[in-house]
Amino acid sequence: MANMEYNVPSERWPVHPETATAEGKNKFVGFWIFLAGETVLFASLFATYLALKDSVPSDDHLLASELFHLPLAFVMTMLLLTSSLTSVYAIYHMRNNNFQKMQLWLGITALLGAGFLALEIYEFVVYVGLGHTFRSSAFGSAFYFLIGTHGFHVIVGLIWVTLLILRNANRGMSVYTAAKVNTFTLYWHFIDVVWVFIFTIVYLLGVL
Amino acid sequence: MAEMNQEVMTKSQLEYLRNQRTKEMRHQLVSFGLMIFLTFMAFILAASDVPAQFTIPIVLGFAFIQVILQFFYFMHMKDNGHDFAKLLIMTGMYFAIAFVVCMIYIVWIGAPIE
Amino acid sequence: MAQTSTQKKGVGSVIWEYLTTVDHKKIGILYLIAGGFFFALGGIEAMLIRLQLAVPNNDFLSAGLYNEMITMHGTTMIFLAAMPLLFAFMNAVVPLQIGARDLAFPFLNSMGVWLFILGGIFLNLSWFMGGAPDAGWTSYASLSIDSPGHGVNFYALGLQITGAGTLMTGINFATTIITMRAPGMTYMRMPLFTWTTLVAAILIVFAFPPLTIGVFLLIFDRMFGSNFFIVEAGGNTIIWEHLFWIFGHPEVYILILPAFGIFSEIFSVFARKRLFGYSAMVFATLLIGFFGFMVWAHHMFTVGLGPTANAIFAVATMAIAVPTGIKIFNWIATIWGGSIEFTTPMLYAVAFIPSFVMGGVTGIMQAAAPADYQYHDSYFIVAHFHYVIVGGVVFGLLAGLHYYWPIMFNTMLNEVLGKITFVLFVFGFHLTFLIQHFLGLWGMPRRVFTFLDGQGYNAANMISTVGAFFMAAGVIILLINIVMTLVKNERVGTDPWGDGRTLEWSLPLPVPYYNFAQVPLVRGLDAYWIEKNEGDGKMMPAESIEDFHMPNNSIIPLIMSLGLFIASFGALYFADGKDWAIDAVSALDAKPWALPVLVIGLGITFVSMGVRSWKDDLGYYVTKEEIKKDLEELERGAK
Repeated sequence: MANMEYNVPSERWPVHPETATAEGKNKFVGFWIFLAGETVLFASLFATYLALKDSVPSDDHLLASELFHLPLAFVMTMLLLTSSLTSVYAIYHMRNNNFQKMQLWLGITALLGAGFLALEIYEFVVYVGLGHTFRSSAFGSAFYFLIGTHGFHVIVGLIWVTLLILRNANRGMSVYTAAKVNTFTLYWHFIDVVWVFIFTIVYLLGVL
Repeated sequence: MAEMNQEVMTKSQLEYLRNQRTKEMRHQLVSFGLMIFLTFMAFILAASDVPAQFTIPIVLGFAFIQVILQFFYFMHMKDNGHDFAKLLIMTGMYFAIAFVVCMIYIVWIGAPIE
Repeated sequence: MAQTSTQKKGVGSVIWEYLTTVDHKKIGILYLIAGGFFFALGGIEAMLIRLQLAVPNNDFLSAGLYNEMITMHGTTMIFLAAMPLLFAFMNAVVPLQIGARDLAFPFLNSMGVWLFILGGIFLNLSWFMGGAPDAGWTSYASLSIDSPGHGVNFYALGLQITGAGTLMTGINFATTIITMRAPGMTYMRMPLFTWTTLVAAILIVFAFPPLTIGVFLLIFDRMFGSNFFIVEAGGNTIIWEHLFWIFGHPEVYILILPAFGIFSEIFSVFARKRLFGYSAMVFATLLIGFFGFMVWAHHMFTVGLGPTANAIFAVATMAIAVPTGIKIFNWIATIWGGSIEFTTPMLYAVAFIPSFVMGGVTGIMQAAAPADYQYHDSYFIVAHFHYVIVGGVVFGLLAGLHYYWPIMFNTMLNEVLGKITFVLFVFGFHLTFLIQHFLGLWGMPRRVFTFLDGQGYNAANMISTVGAFFMAAGVIILLINIVMTLVKNERVGTDPWGDGRTLEWSLPLPVPYYNFAQVPLVRGLDAYWIEKNEGDGKMMPAESIEDFHMPNNSIIPLIMSLGLFIASFGALYFADGKDWAIDAVSALDAKPWALPVLVIGLGITFVSMGVRSWKDDLGYYVTKEEIKKDLEELERGAK
């Protein structure tokens, strides 16, 4: 069984710990390729949404411009954008070989993400109360599928980062840990990228 | 697995590296500020009474700038060793735009050019 | 974990080894066995279709069963036979061609094969569980939403599972080829099979997500009450066609490019010449891959997209002929003036050129949108795509099977039987499909279960059916050949074809589980050929003999895939008897256990993902001593 060196002294800590091993480098390249695939996945979702936007069976269904509430979307955007910055801080401390601070910033990222998720669930509950559901119209189906897929990615990210924080807590810093954390932050930034398009195309262009 | 080919660094090398990283962090804070500003402007524009044909391209442009900042600064795509990431993400973006434009043009409106 | 080939092992431990393996060579064998099984299944379905169409007004298959047959034939052949068989050769060969000890993500590789196998089983369980899908392999939404019973549910869920596996495999191969090449193996020194695998892998990464989304829309509409394709609720069935063909057109390039790669290797080995125009070949491969994404709407010319859209996609489609033409001329130039040896793989490769060109030419005919209105939905189309898929991909698979057999099984397939297979198969193939061009032009529609007497279709259909029997006979002889070779088990040594040019032929057979005792130094294109002609015939090592680490076996990929397999049954029956369900299933008995099964299945998958992430999996070390011992043994064997 191979061994992994934990809590390496800073003098020997690699400049790019996340890609210091062959496995770390593979993970890094492979995950970028995965993200490129995700780009096309979300493009298909956006295309479906735009094709079905405001496509409802009868007049008594709400349309995008009557439904969306910009202040809520703004707060959600701010939460997610900030969580993107906090995960940058986590990487900063990872490269500086500062395990405690890295864990702290990852924790803050998770909290902000959870806040975003809570607001999204609240938003969905309100919409369902207004009769805009997954089964009410093609518009509803497309809306919940697009936003829901993003929300599902957030949930996966939250579980992922929680597991990472817990598993690393009694292990400490190593290049193995670093590769895992770096992969997570790439994923988290990508979620933010998708959200930028969602708030622009769905919410901002929706209320026009 | 555990092989790390890291030479032992001297104190001054380490110091230099830390300084570089702090500098980079400052860049990232600036780009974060820019993102917040762009988001804010986009929301203001959408909420105001500016005509839609003016708002739509600007808001979309803001989104693309934000995404570029996110990719290049937050996700370190500006650093070395990201050639393949750049190539693939750009190809992905190209296909993404192609799909969305074709779908809107073909499914939604249908042959607007007569 | 490390086992030497001298150890005798029981059947149980061999099965366990294959269930948990992360070794690309063993996974390649798994792909070959499972893909071969589904190929046989799809072949039987094809024979039944041809039997039904042999004579007019036939009632051998009922109309409904015929629809199920054509759907399952297409779906099985594309997703469960052609692609997995290509993955078999990619797994067996690509890491050896680039000088790597395994793929970048051995765990994901194992996951990919199990998702494919379980997805394939799930899809085929439909035969025993209330009827197979019957909306065609394209499953256009207007048909698939209407199709009663669970058939289309099997299609949607089965494709989702296999599709996930394929996506993982695509990411895996792209990463491997980017990061794990041996020292000196620059991009422009990679063998062409590696190049085409890289491009096909990237195509998979971009093509499968749209399929995932399209199939999700279908799953949600059929099983969870959404309205994407329900026109009364504002839905639009054209969305399915777009998403399906955004995936579907690159898919044909995902199939054909690796086949091109195999042929390129075969041409240069058996013409004993360097591949003509290597850089043009690489460029053409990239160009085909890129154009492949820009042409999907040529499958939809008759939908009514309007003249502008049709014109754009027609021109883009015709443009693909240019890089493909470059390839054809380069292959011909490679054979030109070579010292040609007509082995079985070479025969397939030579037969491939005219067959594929014929399929390509009919493709260009269809690219002209106005003409396509005439060909659409006729047997002309059936003839066209069988000419490119059988004449291109299946010839490539059969050639690759003979060519790479020694690398996978350390024996050689019988050349005489191989040539008999070749003659029967190629003759049968042209007999079956050439006449179908004319059938189409005479007006015979595709996807119709029978035809009337006196329309002039009788003789042509009979000829086509006879041809199919020749192909079947060819495949049976191939099976006999395989069984005989496995029973005889006459081992061959390094470089069994005698003219191997690339790294994989420099290895001792059987290939050690760690592939390369020392990572080789690559000095140019056709690395092994260079060492034969300029060096001492052995690859120069790029490193001294050192410890290196290998990945651990794991059962988790199988459990993870099994979770999704179980969850699919929950989703399959979820909508039965619900008041929001589509008409196809709303009258069936409600199944209250469906939701728990769905949740339990997904739970198994996610918990095993968590376990995987929680445990440190650092692999194990192969020690210097073990490698030295192996090398000495090899030395002794050589004397």
